[in-house]
Amino acid sequence: MEEEYTTGTKKNGGISRRQFLARGVAFTFAAAVTGPGLTVLSGCGGGSSSGALRFWQFYAPGGDVAAQSKWFEDTVEAWNKENETQVKLEYIPTTEYLNGSKLQTAFSSGEGPDLFIISPGDFLRYYNGGVLEDLSQYMEEDARNDFYKNVMTTRTVDGKFYALPMEVEPMAMYYSVKAFEEAGLSEADVPTTWEGLLDAAGKLKQGGRFGLLFDTNPGYYQNFTWYPFMWQGGGDVVTESGKESDFNSKATIQALQFWQDAIESGVAPRKALGTGGNDIVSNLAQGYCAIENCGIWGVADMRANASDFEYGLFKLPLPPGGRYTTDLGGWAFVANSEGKNPEAAGQFCAWALGSMSEDSINRGVDWCTKAKSDIAPRKSVQEKAEKEGGFDSGPMKFFREEAFPDGRGEPRYTPEVYKAVSDAIQACQLNGADPAQAAEQAAQNINSFLKGYSGASLV
Amino acid sequence: MSVKPPGSVAEGKPRWPKEDPARRGLTRKHREWLAALLFVAPDALGLIVFLAIPMVLSLALGFFDISGFGTYSFAGLTNYKRMFSDPLFLNSVRVTVIYVALFVAGVFVVSLALALLVKQKLPFVGVFRSMFFLPYVVSLVVIGLVWQFMLTDERGIVNQFLDIVGLGSVSWLGNPRFALLTVVAVSIWFFMGYYMVIFLAALQDIPQEYYDAARVDGAGTWATFWNVTWPLLKPTSFFVLLVSTITGIAGLQAFDLIYIMTKGGPANTTMLGIFYIYQQAFQFNDYGYAAAMASFLVLVMLVATAGMFVLTRGGRFEVD
Repeated sequence: MEEEYTTGTKKNGGISRRQFLARGVAFTFAAAVTGPGLTVLSGCGGGSSSGALRFWQFYAPGGDVAAQSKWFEDTVEAWNKENETQVKLEYIPTTEYLNGSKLQTAFSSGEGPDLFIISPGDFLRYYNGGVLEDLSQYMEEDARNDFYKNVMTTRTVDGKFYALPMEVEPMAMYYSVKAFEEAGLSEADVPTTWEGLLDAAGKLKQGGRFGLLFDTNPGYYQNFTWYPFMWQGGGDVVTESGKESDFNSKATIQALQFWQDAIESGVAPRKALGTGGNDIVSNLAQGYCAIENCGIWGVADMRANASDFEYGLFKLPLPPGGRYTTDLGGWAFVANSEGKNPEAAGQFCAWALGSMSEDSINRGVDWCTKAKSDIAPRKSVQEKAEKEGGFDSGPMKFFREEAFPDGRGEPRYTPEVYKAVSDAIQACQLNGADPAQAAEQAAQNINSFLKGYSGASLV
Repeated sequence: MSVKPPGSVAEGKPRWPKEDPARRGLTRKHREWLAALLFVAPDALGLIVFLAIPMVLSLALGFFDISGFGTYSFAGLTNYKRMFSDPLFLNSVRVTVIYVALFVAGVFVVSLALALLVKQKLPFVGVFRSMFFLPYVVSLVVIGLVWQFMLTDERGIVNQFLDIVGLGSVSWLGNPRFALLTVVAVSIWFFMGYYMVIFLAALQDIPQEYYDAARVDGAGTWATFWNVTWPLLKPTSFFVLLVSTITGIAGLQAFDLIYIMTKGGPANTTMLGIFYIYQQAFQFNDYGYAAAMASFLVLVMLVATAGMFVLTRGGRFEVD
């Protein structure tokens, strides 16, 4: 009888077990090796060319605050009804968005979202990376002029807007009315100077409650909260040209010293609760401190999570001979110029936040006074919000009339500069370093970086 | 009496099944090799694709300047030279060395002590074993959050207890003098159950006769430990030292704790090498520099491992 099998090939045209195994192994290997390779290669092209524009942020759908989540959902729904190019919201948890690697990793693999939000602190990273679309080309001139100049400075390069803010968030001091009363202090005792603030904090400290809280976690946010104290004395991180460090100054040293004194006198904690100094509910409302340095978003946080807590507000106190200012933070929409449809993404940003249409203005009003508690970045939005009574009383009136004027937009620095400043703050605040030496060291580091820097100007 | 194998010649059948003609080209040895290769292939492929290739790529990335937005330029040894003049990198190396020294010593002593304890015939010893092992099965993020809560300045449960006993409050995570020690302590607490189980298995493997003989010779508890238990635990001790050192240098677990509890602060005092690499890659977009530092870290791990093998003669601790 003739043998059914020869060397592995079945005569009837099928395949042998050996062939099956061999081909299986080859296929597995090919899939394993070429799969990731192809993914990476395909990523270089900026993602697939079809499908909705992906909008990454930390509000919706299903974010922590229902009103904010709904505002985003309503905005996208309205756009999707009117336009062929659809937008899809993709929620990234706040901690991952702020400190994680997801956004950066996506861009590194060429899969960055088509739309996302950034703060001025991160502007240069993405602008210098060449992924921010010029949004002013999609806006009318009236709309471009409608934005406050001091708010747009850090989002503008060569007269073009690369980010459209949805809010302006000034910093101030919140205090617990109950803690003040317990310490025998009244509204008249609200401190206006650094010295007065440390004095009051000393009186307010008792039991497990600290008198005062500044942020202690190293990072962009801590720098953001510290800058105004440096600016008040006339100091700055870089000179006006942005090409040299201005950090080694008397104003910087006294601001570093001030934060160090707060810790070393024992009136301020070395560690904040919750997510940090930005978390007003976990710190002030929970009785961990009596005074907290926080932004306007604290008003909405209190409203949503500690509505019974009685608090007051006062402007950032001043050093001797200082001039009042505060930091104006806030997040902005940006479009990915390397995304699947940068033009549509840019049009979406302009339509949502940068148009003179009634819808766009109303959207701004809703965000700043209903979904959140913020100053508007545009004159028309601010005027309408004021007409509707959004700033008539209470904390919003304080922020509009007292904290916001004379504020300065959050600066934009590169990560290298931010890190040099952060190290100086941390060393002085928590490690007892000499402020003069720390300022000098940081200035050297900044200068050494700026010598080889060729990106957009530091403002 | 002899037993005939089934299919023996005596039954008129061949002694072995007739060889498949299709396999004539391969010897039995080759067929076994092939089978072994096929069994190993899935794991090997996984390691090659997800570990070896990325490692080689990472090594190569160290020679490039990479923006994080798709632009590359060859940088030669610039990233490697920069490492040794970067005070923050040198600080992270110093922090890593202190962390590893304290962690390895601490986890070794604590887990061995626990293993010796739970080896005793104590009531509810199974419950204690489970309790000591429990932290190891909990997510490190949860552990970081819970410890952060317990160590809160002034009002955390640890500080309240210290206040009661008159020692006063300490800022465990905010004071540079204590922050790294606190991270080490929490790391030890997390790992002690895992290494305890390893030591316990080794202890239970020591024949009871040795202990009986030591007792007959008049050895006390301490002498028995030094002369019987300790020498017989040496291979296990080597394993624990090796694995905990690699774990400490790689800092993968410590990364989670630091990310949650300190973010590398206060004042960079908990900035382990792995955290600085992460910061350079994902916050500063400096992938080339991060890859160079990661390669250096791998080299340090290889040297540490080789050094331990040499010093302990491959874990045998014997003099030839």
